[in-house]
Amino acid sequence: FIGARYHFSFHLIRLQSCSKAASRGQTFKKQNRRKVNNKDRNREGPASLSVCSGHRKCNITRFHLPLTPSTSFHTTVLTSAAQSAITVTEEPDTLFQKLVVLVKGHDRAVLDSYEFFATMTAKELGISLGKVFEPPKDIERLTLLKSIHIFKKHRVQYEMRTHYRCIELHHITGCTAQVYLEYIQRNLPEGVAMEVTKTAMEKVPDHILEPMWKEIPTDDKPSQ
Amino acid sequence: MINSKNFRHVTNVCVSLLLLRCMTTEAKRNRAARIRVGKGDKPVTYEQAHHPHHIGHRKGWLSQHTSNLKGEDGAAERTVEDVFIRRFMFGTFHGCLANEIVIKRRGNLLNVCAVMLQKLPPQKFYFLIGYTESLLSHFYKCPVKLEIQTLQDKIVYKYL
Repeated sequence: FIGARYHFSFHLIRLQSCSKAASRGQTFKKQNRRKVNNKDRNREGPASLSVCSGHRKCNITRFHLPLTPSTSFHTTVLTSAAQSAITVTEEPDTLFQKLVVLVKGHDRAVLDSYEFFATMTAKELGISLGKVFEPPKDIERLTLLKSIHIFKKHRVQYEMRTHYRCIELHHITGCTAQVYLEYIQRNLPEGVAMEVTKTAMEKVPDHILEPMWKEIPTDDKPSQ
Repeated sequence: MINSKNFRHVTNVCVSLLLLRCMTTEAKRNRAARIRVGKGDKPVTYEQAHHPHHIGHRKGWLSQHTSNLKGEDGAAERTVEDVFIRRFMFGTFHGCLANEIVIKRRGNLLNVCAVMLQKLPPQKFYFLIGYTESLLSHFYKCPVKLEIQTLQDKIVYKYL
């Protein structure tokens, strides 16, 4: 995710909590009265149930991609990269101390509205917002000859302005960061680029917790 | 010159400077994407009436992509694609375009937005739209969507 421009087929998804996605009208078996993960309704695979007590506790869902005929390019087909099965793992989630989202664009008004959207999303999801500020714009100017032949004294000047907006989020987990970034990026307006910088926190390795000179008191210095 | 091609959306071709060489004593005025003020009988749309230095202030952008931003690349390829798409649309929907074509790129998707006049029956329109979409998708290897809006006549902003 760091510093790259994305080339995935655009498909607007609504931010899904466990049971709020729109169903496609296919029938499914409701085995008991627990809330169903609605991703299964769109699939023709076996429907499995999940408990909505938290995003870490969903069961493994297996599903197949919709078998729509994809001969035409303009029907939106959900790619497998966009949907990953919700898995339960025992390894601890990555923790990010800081997540910096820098958006660049030519139009300041577009960046204003995008900043409002991103901050509103963060507030709704309960992510702690840090600074939201505007770095100074960059203007790239070119002075070119106005005519195709001679007339050196007559030039024409063009400029390309790049406006920035920086949104910082603090103390965020890997799962939340993934969901937030995916939602933000799928709703990125055209003509706006984004760069994300993540600062992860890692546990200090055990072998450097204790200083080395405390463990070897009897060794003499070799350079005597 | 990358940006001058994007400004070439006037139907009247600008007078080339070669013809003006005999009149070099006059000040060299910019002629790019400008319709000169005339008798008052020429209908002109909002896009044509405003000069290129109004882009970003009174006008929007006709082609929206990220490659002209600082630190991004691919500007030349996007420009060539845009020029081809504009000529293609102009030729396919000949005489039906009311205004300039707006090209938006979002991720992989290429969105071509156009305002058309109702000169053809809707069945022909649908066929041409499907044909354009599939041809451009196969050509550019990315999903291409056409967003068409139709009007009775061109919207005239003023008469020059």
